[in-house]
Amino acid sequence: MKLSILFGGKAGLGPNILGSILGEALVKQGYYVFYSRDYQSLIRGGHNFNVLTFSDKPVYSNETKIDILVALDENTVRIHKKDLKKRAEIIKGSHVNMYFAGALFKVLGLDFKILKNRLKSLRNFEENLKSAKKGYIEEKERYEIKRLKRKKLTFMNGTQGIAHGAIRSGLDVYYAYPMTPATPLLGILAQKQIEHNYLVLEPENEIAVINAAVGSAITGAKSMLGTSGGGFDLMTETLSMCGMVGIPLVIYLAQRPGPGTGVPTYTRQGDLNDARHAGHGEFPRIVLAPGNPIEAAELTSEAFYFSQKYKIPCIVLSDKHLAESFYTFTRKPRIKRSNKSTKLIKYTSYEHFKKGVSTEDAKKVRKGVEERLKKNKKIKKEAEKFRMFKIYGNKKSKNLIIGWGSTKGAILDAIKGLNCKFLQVLYIEPFSIKIKKHLKRAKNVVVVENNSTSQLSDVIAEKTGFLIKNKILKYDARPFFGEELNKLIRKKLK
Amino acid sequence: MKKLDTGEKSTWCPGCPNSLILEGVKQALAKRTNVAIVSGIGCHAKIFDYLNLPGLNSIHGRVLPTCLGLKIGNPNLNVVGFSGDGDAYQEGISHLVHAARYNSDFKYLVHNNQVFALTVGQPTATTEIGFKDKTTMPFGSKIVPLNPIKLMLACGASFVARVFADIKQVRWILNEAFKHKGFAFVEIIQPCITFHPDTGYKEKTYSLEKTGHNKRDLKAAFRKADEFDYNTVKKIPLGIFYQEKRETFEEKYPQLVKLKKKEISWRNIKR
Repeated sequence: MKLSILFGGKAGLGPNILGSILGEALVKQGYYVFYSRDYQSLIRGGHNFNVLTFSDKPVYSNETKIDILVALDENTVRIHKKDLKKRAEIIKGSHVNMYFAGALFKVLGLDFKILKNRLKSLRNFEENLKSAKKGYIEEKERYEIKRLKRKKLTFMNGTQGIAHGAIRSGLDVYYAYPMTPATPLLGILAQKQIEHNYLVLEPENEIAVINAAVGSAITGAKSMLGTSGGGFDLMTETLSMCGMVGIPLVIYLAQRPGPGTGVPTYTRQGDLNDARHAGHGEFPRIVLAPGNPIEAAELTSEAFYFSQKYKIPCIVLSDKHLAESFYTFTRKPRIKRSNKSTKLIKYTSYEHFKKGVSTEDAKKVRKGVEERLKKNKKIKKEAEKFRMFKIYGNKKSKNLIIGWGSTKGAILDAIKGLNCKFLQVLYIEPFSIKIKKHLKRAKNVVVVENNSTSQLSDVIAEKTGFLIKNKILKYDARPFFGEELNKLIRKKLK
Repeated sequence: MKKLDTGEKSTWCPGCPNSLILEGVKQALAKRTNVAIVSGIGCHAKIFDYLNLPGLNSIHGRVLPTCLGLKIGNPNLNVVGFSGDGDAYQEGISHLVHAARYNSDFKYLVHNNQVFALTVGQPTATTEIGFKDKTTMPFGSKIVPLNPIKLMLACGASFVARVFADIKQVRWILNEAFKHKGFAFVEIIQPCITFHPDTGYKEKTYSLEKTGHNKRDLKAAFRKADEFDYNTVKKIPLGIFYQEKRETFEEKYPQLVKLKKKEISWRNIKR
């Protein structure tokens, strides 16, 4: 079984909290939940909606068609009528949001006690309970969602994954200037700073963010910063300096559709090239692309490990879809420990021959450049010990699907039942040489990306010489849906 | 003083007042421990190579956030930032405004020579109207200069001072700045002997301390700041314009208070 529920309404009416409450309850009952948010760049009004898809089997993307529509306003019914399945249930009317929570629990046949307990952790308990009860009584049961017996499931979004990874990796200082979709990480980390004894600061702008992070990093503190494309652009001069000086920094780069201000609250994988190339000059860096919250945590810890060991900037590349969607897992993230390796000595942005003293001497300049190249080689070698890519599906299939980042969920859902091998690239820089072997073996190679120019194809061409012609690209600022992608892949493989 | 030498040969022009600033700084820092320094880009930044002290010779305009980051990384450090006028009043002026707000406990010296010297003499934000140079203003600079002392007073800086590039003055003001708990803004008038020479500056200077200026009086500080508009040279007051006791950045964060109490940095915290 698989059901999809859409919660829609004006911003401020609270469709978010409804989705979270139901999602958590279903996960506790043993179901796999995938839950994504679609919201506009406004605070009150407009139309926001969240889609929750759940199943007794793994699910990592939303369905295009809806079984239950929870309409917090009339507009929602009008907009989403076309998305409804034939016998879809509509819960609507002029009620407060907890009324809908109660109604929904009844429709799904969920125990009211679960909802009551959850409401205890919110403000205005008595009032909410009254509304929820009313909704529960007035609705009719339509489904019977029974508790499934299985190991406890983990339910989190990409942002929580990054936060988990950062804290568990020993984060000391986090700097960020608010920018969607990186802002939620600032929120989570700020909340937990006293409990876990680290510091979170929002300086005057992105340039201050990265330079303050550099200042802290050279004292030996584990420093991290977060931003999105526009803010990252402002940081690039200092990013280049980090390459020259040798500064350990972890950079959380949450993509949103550009160029320019773009579509600020929506999603795209448009900044892969930016992450790889930003900054003048030639210097070593690492670019990692998690595809789900577990990987977000794990790759963040690997970013700390590599940045500390090799004193380089490490970019963890996410996007709005991964950052704000909730996923369900059967396991917890595995964290790679890292030691603080930096000491406060003399550092300089100039080419230098011994630590901190600048030089213009040709021989010494050449040596400085070669030191950085050497670092790159060492990183490449060590990275091969990590999971730089993953293989899913039919491992022997000649049909190879390649993707990176947040398209992973939809690809996993899409290839169910297809004769396909899916190769997910996690390490963009450095890039595993072993990927070439998989490309050579395949008959049909299809790249799936949430951008318009297929930036991963460029990386693959550059690193392996392999040119990919078959591309499935989506760039309407929305993520892929599993079944939508299934159709597109089947067409390509015909 | 020898322990502060790096042995690097100075590449400032012979006779450049930066050498006097360097000497004054050395004398003030001679007995201080746990010092870290940061410099920007320009002639001033060469001081980084001549001081055997840890820190970062950074990029243009970013000295202030780097200093803040150092203090957050280790609040026990005695941090001194060096900037030029291009660094402080142009490329990085947004940071200057906010550094006054944060009131982090580090010291900031601006070597103001009223010119971009290392790029061969273009006007800066504090260059007088009519200044001529070959590359950008062949017919004379037309823009009104900025008054950084007034800017800092308006931004709420808790320590605002100006001295002349002179060993004694620099030593004295840096010691005063260290006595002050919080952000100390110090401008050093440092005439560029090549592109913006001292045309009677020194004769026009006088000491605020000796003329009975009350440094706790903000209004008086503004009046004194108005005496030199960086455009015409009539009177140039030197010394501390304003000083106020205020909670520092480091005192506002319990995490940093803890580090300070234990005299450790984040680096010492094993996780």
